[in-house]
Amino acid sequence: MTVVRLDEVTRVHGEGAAAVHALKGVSLAVEAGELVAVMGPSGSGKSTLLNVAGGLDRPTSGTVEVEGTDLAQVKDLAALRRRSVGYVFQDLNLIPSLTAAENVMLPRELDGVRAAKARHEAMGVLGEVGLAHVADRFPDELSGGQRQRVAIARSLVGERRLILADEPTGALDTPTGDEILQLLRIRCEQGATVLLVTHEPRYAAWADRVIFLRDGAVVDETSAPAVSHR
Amino acid sequence: MSIRHGLLALLSQGSRYGYQLRTEFEASTGATWPLNIGQVYTTLSRMERDGLVAPGEADEQGRVVYTITEAGRAEMERWFSTPVAQSDRPRDELVIKLAMAVTAPGVDVAEVVQAQRGATMRTLQELTRAKRAADGGTAQRLVLDSMIFQAEAEQRWLNHCEAVLNEVNA
Repeated sequence: MTVVRLDEVTRVHGEGAAAVHALKGVSLAVEAGELVAVMGPSGSGKSTLLNVAGGLDRPTSGTVEVEGTDLAQVKDLAALRRRSVGYVFQDLNLIPSLTAAENVMLPRELDGVRAAKARHEAMGVLGEVGLAHVADRFPDELSGGQRQRVAIARSLVGERRLILADEPTGALDTPTGDEILQLLRIRCEQGATVLLVTHEPRYAAWADRVIFLRDGAVVDETSAPAVSHR
Repeated sequence: MSIRHGLLALLSQGSRYGYQLRTEFEASTGATWPLNIGQVYTTLSRMERDGLVAPGEADEQGRVVYTITEAGRAEMERWFSTPVAQSDRPRDELVIKLAMAVTAPGVDVAEVVQAQRGATMRTLQELTRAKRAADGGTAQRLVLDSMIFQAEAEQRWLNHCEAVLNEVNA
């Protein structure tokens, strides 16, 4: 099943001579259970691609489908983002005055789920990322790696199967960054789909496919060999 | 680097047969550096000549146990306390190839960079898979990490080459 499909997507910021063509006809399909990494230099369109794929931004032309739904036909993108798409950013965006569990509960409560049920779901997904024991701590009482795992738990809560991750390892040391990729990888094996933007080859290497963007277009694509030749 | 220092480090933990040294060497380097048994015995006999190891009596199957000597221990300690010099490493064919591609007429450098970047990324993906599958303990993990860091450095350098070439040609 294709979870995200981009077909000839362009995104132009501004108009006339000042127009910036952030994406120039990008087509991409990501299947359920797949981890796809997007690499490219600064300004190559990586983050725009991720924002368009998750309905945070609309394409200038072309179509974006999430789980078979054409986003152009969706009136309430906010609801779709809450229910189908999870985001993980470099700068975490955990709310400092809420505990880990409360941060994870938040998208569910915004969706009208009652607090007790939301807490139950949050504890379940925190357990899956190995953080049940720190559920009642505040973000500043957690390590950087733990905070990022809370952000991943939040992106997963409520049966969301698509995770969009923009430099999720940004501020972490390499063993902790590897742990985050290991966690995303396991989620993929359990059926989630991850689209990962990174400028670090070591993290891109965890992906099934690596896509290189330059000046808003896909320049090449590398698939992991089915079996190791080493 | 030499096999001899690796073997001395293993022998410093106790006397070993040649075939044991081979197995343990490969186990601690994560099988990333396969040795054949001939290399092990050639190295052992040179180390015996240099007084770094001493052979025991052959058993009924003709197998000999080797023991590290005081001189061998000193050599191993010297190795651990001396940083590896950059000049001891072999020249990098890729660097030479790209330098030549830039100067030689009629070569599409961007294509050379792109082809190599794809190949290096596949290597990184394979190494990452091997690391996920590895269960050989810390030594093996660090060896794989080293190869990952090296492949990553090459990838970063290729991205840098691409950016510089774009600037020069703009």
